[in-house]
Amino acid sequence: MMHIALVGNPNTGKTSLFNQLTGTYEYVGNWSGVTVEKKVGVLRNKQAKVIDLPGVYSLHPLSRDERVVTQFLLTESFDEMLNIVDASQLERNLLLTVQLLEFGKPLAIALNMVDVAERRGIFIDQTKLATMLRVPVVPVVARTGKGCDQVEHMLLEKATEQTEPLTLFYGGAMERAIERFRAAWGTEEKFPVRWLAIQFYEGNSYVRDYVAEKLPEATWRSLYEQAEKEVQQAEQMSLAQLIYERRRSFVKEIIEQSVQRKEIERVTLTERIDAVVTNKYVGIPIFLLAMYVLFQLTFDWIGAPLSDLLDAFFAGPLTDSMTAVLKAIGASEFIRALIVDGIIAGVGGVLVFVPQIFILFFFISFLEDSGYMARVALVMDRLMEAVGLNGKAFIPLIIGFGCNVPGVMAARTIEQPRERLVTMLLTPLMSCSARLPVYALFVGAFFATHQALVVLSLYVLGVSLALILAKLFSLTILKEESSVFVVELPPYRMPQWQALWRSTWDKGKGFVKKAGTFIFGGSVAIWLLSYVGPHGVNVNMDDSFLAMIGSVLAPLLAPLGFGTWQAGAALLTGFLAKEVVVSTMNIIYHVPDVESLQGLMASHFTALSAFSFMVFVLLYVPCLATVATIYKETRSRKWTMFSIGYALVLAYIVSFVIYQAGSLFGF
Amino acid sequence: MVAMTQLRVGERAKIVDLSRVSDLVKRRLLDMGVTEGAEICLKCTMPLGGPFMIENCGQCVGIRRNEAMNIQVKPL
Repeated sequence: MMHIALVGNPNTGKTSLFNQLTGTYEYVGNWSGVTVEKKVGVLRNKQAKVIDLPGVYSLHPLSRDERVVTQFLLTESFDEMLNIVDASQLERNLLLTVQLLEFGKPLAIALNMVDVAERRGIFIDQTKLATMLRVPVVPVVARTGKGCDQVEHMLLEKATEQTEPLTLFYGGAMERAIERFRAAWGTEEKFPVRWLAIQFYEGNSYVRDYVAEKLPEATWRSLYEQAEKEVQQAEQMSLAQLIYERRRSFVKEIIEQSVQRKEIERVTLTERIDAVVTNKYVGIPIFLLAMYVLFQLTFDWIGAPLSDLLDAFFAGPLTDSMTAVLKAIGASEFIRALIVDGIIAGVGGVLVFVPQIFILFFFISFLEDSGYMARVALVMDRLMEAVGLNGKAFIPLIIGFGCNVPGVMAARTIEQPRERLVTMLLTPLMSCSARLPVYALFVGAFFATHQALVVLSLYVLGVSLALILAKLFSLTILKEESSVFVVELPPYRMPQWQALWRSTWDKGKGFVKKAGTFIFGGSVAIWLLSYVGPHGVNVNMDDSFLAMIGSVLAPLLAPLGFGTWQAGAALLTGFLAKEVVVSTMNIIYHVPDVESLQGLMASHFTALSAFSFMVFVLLYVPCLATVATIYKETRSRKWTMFSIGYALVLAYIVSFVIYQAGSLFGF
Repeated sequence: MVAMTQLRVGERAKIVDLSRVSDLVKRRLLDMGVTEGAEICLKCTMPLGGPFMIENCGQCVGIRRNEAMNIQVKPL
């Protein structure tokens, strides 16, 4: 099957186009760096595979997600490239196109955002552009799918054509350097040696590593140094500068001939919104207000009533009818207990939070899709700079509110490796949606009148600790690296309902799926452990295996205010996924619904120990999936262990201080 | 010729010299088309020495104040 690679600048709509072409749904957003690794899909007519790649400005990578593209070009086989070009930013988009044309694979251009360009007074003559670049150009509206049929058609037609790589003249000194490289390198079948040489001289770190594998160090070093010297002498420019300038004059020439500009003196909507949300004085208050509204909507205004309805359904009609059905078919008491007390209590206890989690994901998707996310990075940069990170690190943290796993992945767009590491280590402190059921349970029982405020305090605590630790880490492990911050601020756009819903569903379904797998399995296992003890089956729960396991931890947890075996067992199982804490509690306390569980818990916890418990759940350890992602992203056992270890220590200390200080003040 | 930090919000200027900017930032700015000779407009600044937002050809970019200080511009 034919393979087509989608390449283009960040935030030009590659993933939108990918979704349209393949009929799949991948995560889209309006900020640079939404896609951090390649994704493969199949064209609707099943004739080709499409590979969606992270956005890049050039093939010379600065950050981890950008390396993915260069690596793809050098090491994987594909048949053609679809270059998606943002019509409103033609110059910098075409600078990448030039590099792709030099690479020499068949290429077609999908021209996106023509409407945005026209509103800005930029009119592109597409035929002219196609003739000058010698590639087909098709206008598309990636968000709605307009023009995608033509793209598909063109892709299939194009594949059979033979293409010559573009050859730009880089000046005598540089051309001689390219020839020397060619002589040293020898023959190459996969891609043009000229392209490799240019990228090598430009300082592309990935290409350099690639070259260093084949050529001895002395050879490539002397090639580079000689070229540098000669180009400096002949052109009074550095190699990278020369290459950039030549490409740019080529692009300028094309733009001059194919683009018409009309002066449009109009203040755009984006500018008007930015005048407020990035205002010097109200920018930060607006961000905080937005966060507050988000939490109110999720917990108080919409989410909580819906969750209550669902809970009533699980506890009432569902449990009753299931019991009746089981009785009718003559199921044994063991089966009845397993299904009603184990599975319905455990899985249902978590599923009731689906409405709240979906609402949270909906608003996070809205933030991502509207373009506000990049502004958050800008607004928060000063604060992040103070703790040794940069504003971009704030994006993974906000995404981490939804789920820590994509949060850790989103850190890939951070250029400095150590800053990225610290961001990944701190993202698990963001209170993800899986922790929400735990809060909801306790807050309902102990803080009925100030629900949103108490939950908000936990979110704030997570963020504050992350900032304090960032400072601590940046003074220790980050010492030798200066922080860097450049962020692209895309124009705002109104998120489309369909895209929003899909993106919410896509994130939320992970939670539902988890309920069907992990939590289902976990509930069965926990129920069995609570049903079976050293002295047989159907034992009193205090004599069960679960109680034995929990009791080991109980004395350790006593100074934190919750030294019961139940708390110990719940926390232990919470490592699987934090919602399991609630499932475990539902099973252990053996109650039909959240309300009666809350009543029962009042005898095991006080308001203070409940708060201390919530803090512990917030901090104590990243969930299994997050730990696996941290390992995958850092490729370091040491840092993965560190992420678990520091969190445990931190959780213990903070909960200890809260409980002990609280007791002292008589709470 | 003045440092970018001398501009007032809303003022337009031409970039004259980027040589004192750190390499990584220079590369990123180059990626976004902000280079010597480019015309920019200072859109806003964040309080307490926070970042600057500049516009170039309809594209907005956020950079830090200490980098902006190293960018020499000519007000238009």
